[in-house]
Amino acid sequence: MITSMGSVSLSLSRPTLASHLRALYAIAQKDWHQFWRYPLNVVGFVIQPLAFLTPVYFMGLTFSINGQAAGFAAYSGSGDYISFILLGSLLGNYVMTVFWGMGYALKNDMDSGVLESTWLTPTPRVLLLVGRTFTNLLTTTIISLATLLLAALLFGFRPTGSALEAVLPAIPMLIGLYGFGIAFAAVVLMMRDANTLVDVSSYLVNLFSGSQFPVQSLPRFLLPIALALPLTYGYDAVRGFLLRTRTIIPIGAELAILVIFMIVMVWIGVRVFNHVERIIRARGTLGQH
Amino acid sequence: MMGELRALWAVVRKEWLYFVRYPSWWISLLVWPLIFPLAYIFSARALAGPDGSGLALFAQRTGIADYQGFIVIGTTFWMWQNTVLWSVGFALRGEQLRGTLESSWLTPTWRFSFLVGPSFVNMFSMVIFLIISVLNFGLILGVRFHGNPLLAMLVAIACLPSVYGMGIVFASLVINAKEAHNFVFLVRGLVMIFCGVTFPIGVLPEWMQRFAGWMPQTYMIHAMRAVSLANASFTDLIPDFVALAGFGAFWLLAGYLIFNWMERRARRTGSIGQY
Repeated sequence: MITSMGSVSLSLSRPTLASHLRALYAIAQKDWHQFWRYPLNVVGFVIQPLAFLTPVYFMGLTFSINGQAAGFAAYSGSGDYISFILLGSLLGNYVMTVFWGMGYALKNDMDSGVLESTWLTPTPRVLLLVGRTFTNLLTTTIISLATLLLAALLFGFRPTGSALEAVLPAIPMLIGLYGFGIAFAAVVLMMRDANTLVDVSSYLVNLFSGSQFPVQSLPRFLLPIALALPLTYGYDAVRGFLLRTRTIIPIGAELAILVIFMIVMVWIGVRVFNHVERIIRARGTLGQH
Repeated sequence: MMGELRALWAVVRKEWLYFVRYPSWWISLLVWPLIFPLAYIFSARALAGPDGSGLALFAQRTGIADYQGFIVIGTTFWMWQNTVLWSVGFALRGEQLRGTLESSWLTPTWRFSFLVGPSFVNMFSMVIFLIISVLNFGLILGVRFHGNPLLAMLVAIACLPSVYGMGIVFASLVINAKEAHNFVFLVRGLVMIFCGVTFPIGVLPEWMQRFAGWMPQTYMIHAMRAVSLANASFTDLIPDFVALAGFGAFWLLAGYLIFNWMERRARRTGSIGQY
């Protein structure tokens, strides 16, 4: 259909920046509706981290005298292990939702049978995932804040540093993480049955980046794995700013690593996604699952 | 009777085929027993401090010096119950989703077989899981179980009625509630919080300790730790065996009664094919 606008003729099917933004908004809105349609799941998301946090709290008591774990303080510079672990669990929420939410975003569409029709729309396919990133970030933040509130009431949360400064490393860390999520979603789309891969890899990434403990306490032969993961520096820097813990390397160097991680991961994410998308189109496996 | 046994065997074979058709299960069986306890083991290392000074406090409060052994026994029981909830608990639901439950229900078979069959297959896979776990813990983590292996086996057998009885209750409820993932999260969360999976029950507040006394997993974990890490004798374990026998009888009976109730209700409301 051709519309005449003065002397310029425009095709309504030709994508523009405005149409891309509308598509992004539509995707984010659809995910937002879908998320709140299952309120019991939301409750589950809030309670799940607590179920894993509570045993660590009581385990900490087993190693503590008057609520202070002296051994833990020797590693981290703070005896307040519960604030340390709670902050790690909250950041760990983002890692889990990137693996499960982003990683399985397109696979879920595939299972529901709507992926092929979405793919046929004149929208850059990478936008289908970028749109999801917005809702995913927002919903995970809401869940994390609810968990923080509940956990603070139950166990106490005592930040001694600056929350504003803690946002500084969190931003490049999260953008880099979601860049990784875009690449991972493409790989899951190609593999189709990737539950074990997602389950095991998300658990190991969280484990070795020190979501629950200072990585300095890892056995010597495992420490290089932790130090090779950029997320380790993200967890460490956020804790350094918010809880004034002792960081692995100077906090400025950690910030630099996170900014590089962000740039590299977003670039890799988009490249991998476009590459896998071409493979899937050539194979014609988009509708198969 | 022979016909019923053949039907049960057919259910077991079908479940076994499902199990072996998805090889990623094998990877899970190999990997999870090792990596799941690591989060708690590394947390314990961190809490103990670089000089391990916190371990003396741990040993004093648990009565067991080997913190790794203490944790892996707790997490293994947690994983066992978790797997039963997912596999046995969702066995009928899986049939419902695939659209085969109604036709199976119409066959002249004792319907309880449809739940007992998956339980047998799960028990077999769990035996493999337990063997792999013990090998993993011994060879990779260096945990030494120095108790009487026959007594440890007896403890595991005493746990079966409670673990699978709970799975059967769960399966019957899931068939009515349909989407029940959150109930799995709730039950496994309760086990994790109350039953001393990674810490001694003694550090819990009084009311939580009382609640823990009503959960069979508390006795399972306690008995297995006592026999494997503290050389407990049969006599020492009698209170745990009595509790496990009581819980086992209760959960199996509850499983059977709730299954029958669910079956009658499903026939009356015609909801067996809905999902």
